[in-house]
Amino acid sequence: MTVTAPVSPAEPLEAAPPPILQLDRVSKRFGGLLAVNAVSFTVATGEIVSMIGPNGAGKTTAFNMVTGLYPATAGRILFNGQSVVGMPPHRIAKLGITRTFQNIRLFSFVTAVDNVMVGEHCKMHENIFQSMFKTPHARREERDVELRALASLREFGLERYADSYARNLPYGLQRRLEIARALASGPTLLLLDEPAAGLNSQEKVELMQIISDLRAKGLTIFLIEHDMRVVMEISDRIVVLDHGELIAQGLPVEVRNNPRVIEAYLGSGAAAQSERGPQTTA
Amino acid sequence: MPEPIVDPLAVTETAGPTTEEPRRDDDLAPPDELPATASEAAREESSVGFTALVIAGLVFIVAGWLLPWFVEQTSNGIGFSAQDAVSSPPTGIGTFVVYLIGVAMVGLVAFALYDLLNSITHRGRPLRWWRRRTALAILGAVGTLVVWLLIGVLREEPLFGNISSFAATDNAVWMTLTGFVVLALTYGLRPWVVTHGEVAFGGVVFMIGALMPFIFNQSTSFIEWGASAAAIYTLLALGLNIVVGFAGLLDLGYAAFFAIGAYTCGSLASPVHGLHFPFWIVIFIGLAVAALFGAVLGAPTLRLRGDYLAIVTLGFGEIIPDAANNNLFNATGGPEGITGIDHPSIFGFNFGIDAKFYFWSLLIIIAIVLVLLRNIQRSRLGRAWAAIREDEVAAAATGVNPVTTKLLAFSIGASISGLAGAFFGAELGSITPDSFQFAVSVTVLSTVVLGGLGNNTGVAAGGILVSFIIFWMLDHLQEWMGTFGLKFGLPALGTIDYSRWVYIVYGAILVGIMLLRPAGLLPSRARKSELQAGGQSEALAVVQGVV
Repeated sequence: MTVTAPVSPAEPLEAAPPPILQLDRVSKRFGGLLAVNAVSFTVATGEIVSMIGPNGAGKTTAFNMVTGLYPATAGRILFNGQSVVGMPPHRIAKLGITRTFQNIRLFSFVTAVDNVMVGEHCKMHENIFQSMFKTPHARREERDVELRALASLREFGLERYADSYARNLPYGLQRRLEIARALASGPTLLLLDEPAAGLNSQEKVELMQIISDLRAKGLTIFLIEHDMRVVMEISDRIVVLDHGELIAQGLPVEVRNNPRVIEAYLGSGAAAQSERGPQTTA
Repeated sequence: MPEPIVDPLAVTETAGPTTEEPRRDDDLAPPDELPATASEAAREESSVGFTALVIAGLVFIVAGWLLPWFVEQTSNGIGFSAQDAVSSPPTGIGTFVVYLIGVAMVGLVAFALYDLLNSITHRGRPLRWWRRRTALAILGAVGTLVVWLLIGVLREEPLFGNISSFAATDNAVWMTLTGFVVLALTYGLRPWVVTHGEVAFGGVVFMIGALMPFIFNQSTSFIEWGASAAAIYTLLALGLNIVVGFAGLLDLGYAAFFAIGAYTCGSLASPVHGLHFPFWIVIFIGLAVAALFGAVLGAPTLRLRGDYLAIVTLGFGEIIPDAANNNLFNATGGPEGITGIDHPSIFGFNFGIDAKFYFWSLLIIIAIVLVLLRNIQRSRLGRAWAAIREDEVAAAATGVNPVTTKLLAFSIGASISGLAGAFFGAELGSITPDSFQFAVSVTVLSTVVLGGLGNNTGVAAGGILVSFIIFWMLDHLQEWMGTFGLKFGLPALGTIDYSRWVYIVYGAILVGIMLLRPAGLLPSRARKSELQAGGQSEALAVVQGVV
């Protein structure tokens, strides 16, 4: 199951295919707290990039800035060369960035199929009068969207739960449903915030399969994850944040042996020991 | 367990007392074998089934119209309830027909009771369509029984106003027939009703509604209540339900839009400004103006949630009647309001002050509003409302524009309220700022919550119930208690001054209903399972020692 994708070297970013996502000295300040401090990195098209770091490192804040839930205090965020800073979240979603949340945020008392159908909201054309009077166009669109949503549920093995409330799904399936919802609008960049949190090892294996399948379809995936086994296995590149600062980025192997990363996770003593090469674990 | 239901059509054919429940009616249990597309198939079927019910309903209504006339000619003007027919010797063909109906009714009641008994003995697996069907059966059966019992009372006691003894039996026949039709239809179309309970229920209710002016033809004040209180409040509650129930935005100033609609239409069709536009155009203007104000007043609240939103809307609810009271722009007539508003007319026929025409118009409008809202609820916008209600952040990140979604909720809710305002003014002929005070907003909100937040059927039922309690029951409390006291030898009951007690009684009834049905009379599926889930997690918290 190990993904052995050819990875371009880190230096010649200009020569590589244009980055789908570029953060340029992005900062976020909450009052006196500098949650993200001048972080710069890129995600190339078709890559799987993981962002790791201890709790409170500013990972989710970075996600929230990319998806427009928080405005960045400083810096530029470019999606396919277009700045998304200050853009409302739904426009960013329509542009092609969708996400899942660390604590699952499904629409609890809405059926699973409707959850996925909401995902296609921004791609639909039917206006209120068309839906009110059920014009042929609206009917057709509704039917198409419902069929696509059902197909997507089937793909994720959720078709049995199509008419159940999202809240009533087992936990692992809720995580999947959230991914299905995020995919419904046909994004090009998918942000997953700790997708493996709370999953058992079997579910984690399935999750990794889903992620690599999605990449095979041409999707770029940027995820936050604490489970090092998942991170090391699926990531093309890893970005490490600590106290809001970017402390390392590179191939999994490079990051694993990076003393600063080990220090961030395990303290300075461990970093000294790691010179002799023990494994980093989460 | 029976074989898995694969073909959605099979549900229609095989559904009966012993058939298993299609799983989409089951809320919390994990779903099983039904394919996911069944719901879609069911939706497609419903339009065909509905037409069938409408045709059947029409046939019954026509038959109902003909029968009393027919019987009257043949039965010497004697009362002709089914009971009378059974107890008195058949004297003509009409009585014979009534006799047949009586037997059919007895059969239906027995059937209903048998069903009830069955459902009691086969308990342990509560199935929803079972309950719905049983509820309808009880409705029909109880209705019929009540008719039989009331006939005696109606002759002597003016429960619904002044009724002559002959007219009482006339009214009773209408009621009896209606009950019979309801039961007959419910059972006749049972498999269909099972799969489309909501639509069938709505059809039956509207049929009864349309017959109301005939059923109570001797009691104009009851129809006045129906037109000016029940229908208006139902319409208001349906509008507010969009804002509060669908989109989850707590609005405490809803009467403002009611006022805007009433004043707009009043100004355009009264001597105040010398304008006399036709009513059927004016209501659309009122609707549009109210919708506009809905968006305008909604805009400042976009950043607010929950309690804070409620306070701001409360402010709007105070501003509008106050502005009207202060005769702002000299357009509202100050505390006297607008008088002499034109009564609507259609094809040269003026509605005048006859309540039943307003009642029928409002009934049609409510039916249209219900259908349109149902369409919206199952569309892109309806899902967006649900998404915003459940989790605004996730909705935005998923691509739902919270601004337009919320404004549309405010706007559409306000437009329905404007419509209600237009009718309110045209019916009464005058409007004053007093009619749009905070109390109206609160009453409508309590109607929505009591009826079942988010469920139009429930909200409509709540509208009828609350307006019945406030505008009919409390008004007649004195009279009822007097009659009751005389009947049971307690004349002291009639000597109490109930006018001091009415709001205590009203409050007690509201509290009682909410205790008995915490999610409302007919809760929406989401609301019901939310309450259940709340109960579960609370129980869990207790077990874990969190609380």
